Amino acid sequence: MANTNLPRRIIKETQRLLSEPAPGISASPSEDNMRYFNVMILGPTQSPFEGGVFKLELFLPEEYPMAAPKVRFLTKIYHPNIDKLGRICLDILKDKWSPALQIRTVLLSIQALLSAPNPDDPLSDNIAKHWKTNEAEAVETAKEWTRLYATGA
Amino acid sequence: MGQSSSRSRRRDDYRQTYPQHAPLPPPPVQPPLTPPYNPSSRPNFSAPYYNPPPVPAGPYYYAYQPQPSSSYNGLMRFFESWVNNSFPSYYRPNQGNGWLNSAAPPPPAAMPPYTSFSAASSSSIVVAPPPYVEHQKAKTIKNDVNLHKDMIRLEADVLNPEEYLVSFVYDAVVDGSVTIYYFAKEGANCSFSSIEEDIYKPRSYPFEKGTARKFCQPSGDGIDLGFFDLESLSKPANGEVFPLVIYAKACGPTQTDGQSVQSAATHLQITLAIIEKNNTGAFEVKVVKQILWFDGERYELQEIFGLADSSEPVDDADDDIGKECVICLTETRNTAVFPCRHLCMCSDCAKSLRVQSNKCPICRQPVEKLMEINVNLTSSDK
Repeated sequence: MANTNLPRRIIKETQRLLSEPAPGISASPSEDNMRYFNVMILGPTQSPFEGGVFKLELFLPEEYPMAAPKVRFLTKIYHPNIDKLGRICLDILKDKWSPALQIRTVLLSIQALLSAPNPDDPLSDNIAKHWKTNEAEAVETAKEWTRLYATGA
Repeated sequence: MGQSSSRSRRRDDYRQTYPQHAPLPPPPVQPPLTPPYNPSSRPNFSAPYYNPPPVPAGPYYYAYQPQPSSSYNGLMRFFESWVNNSFPSYYRPNQGNGWLNSAAPPPPAAMPPYTSFSAASSSSIVVAPPPYVEHQKAKTIKNDVNLHKDMIRLEADVLNPEEYLVSFVYDAVVDGSVTIYYFAKEGANCSFSSIEEDIYKPRSYPFEKGTARKFCQPSGDGIDLGFFDLESLSKPANGEVFPLVIYAKACGPTQTDGQSVQSAATHLQITLAIIEKNNTGAFEVKVVKQILWFDGERYELQEIFGLADSSEPVDDADDDIGKECVICLTETRNTAVFPCRHLCMCSDCAKSLRVQSNKCPICRQPVEKLMEINVNLTSSDK
């Protein structure tokens, strides 16, 4: 059902994601639902998530691109802007969404969020507190979680 | 900006602010809000219940340039009618300042509340009525003479080192004349007069048609800027007296008396500038605005962002990124958003955007109007 009348925009975006993937990011649509993407983001170098492969799911709602895609981490991650359910606190996924943004730009933004955690706008209060009171220790925990949950998968 | 005030205007205000030259539109079907009025009996005042009157034809224009200049760095110019600069927003309800279904609540301060209507509509219906946004088609006019606004210089006169000569680069499809004014203000029908004529009498010179031609004032005609302090050179006095005005007139015999002679057929481009000293001590000309006078109407030139690429031949390949509508990624973009001037959508997506959001997809500024600008013209079409 979801594959009938798929807007050309989604087809084009999918083609471009597959033909010219962004560095460190892969996204491929599910076979039975072209609006559902399996995403993998490599942990950025120089970040506590380096070396990790993070799985996400991305869904394009019916209103897309007038509404933002729904994105969620499937891999456990220790990050002040990502909660234990994998939900992401990122303005462009909420009130700052614009139809000029695309799947690619959303995923690049999430990748950038991994490089630049923002504990001042937390989704996970405990992790944010940890980050602000003892950043070195929080980074160690994030590295540990990366090793435990995001490698060898 | 005046946006927030215009946004909070009630829709029945438009008759007061409507530009004078335009014929008054027929009175709206909806009677003015008077008691006893029950908002809940009419939950939605947007289209189709209330259609603002049609926009008078042709208030907006764009110019395509027969020989686009590379120095514009990919931006084409835009003429905005002076009288329409303050075009009111007809109807701007308290729409949730967000894209459809945006998860977060809208920031409260962003949109002033639309008093009685919004209170009624938000309590009685689920979907906030979309803002009415004008959607117009642009009309093309041709710019007979154009100064490259980033190529205006003040050069020291070699023979009179105290004096500075104006030089600039221009394109013109016909011959014409140019008049240099210092400290001039605008009068009726785009005429200009200097308020410092005793220091510098405006001088006119003929110019020849051509592309990327350079004009330079003859030696001896320069101005000694030492008469003026930097403060007065660097900003328009009272917002209306501009330190430097270059008045380029296309076609017709040259009038050299320094006083502008107007006729309806005259095509003018007037460049209003300030003069600043840069950190090397040299004078720099900075253009504040450019005005076009065309067939008895006055326009202001503005640049449209995102227009240049689409004037090039469109190849059918998939690599047309940069020309395609940012929403459907399919059609060629041909609709610009105002006041931010981002040309980013095709007309179909612009139409659907209108009813779903009031923000520019590029910069998220509130949309006040949309204008379709078709750039498929080639020089053979003129």
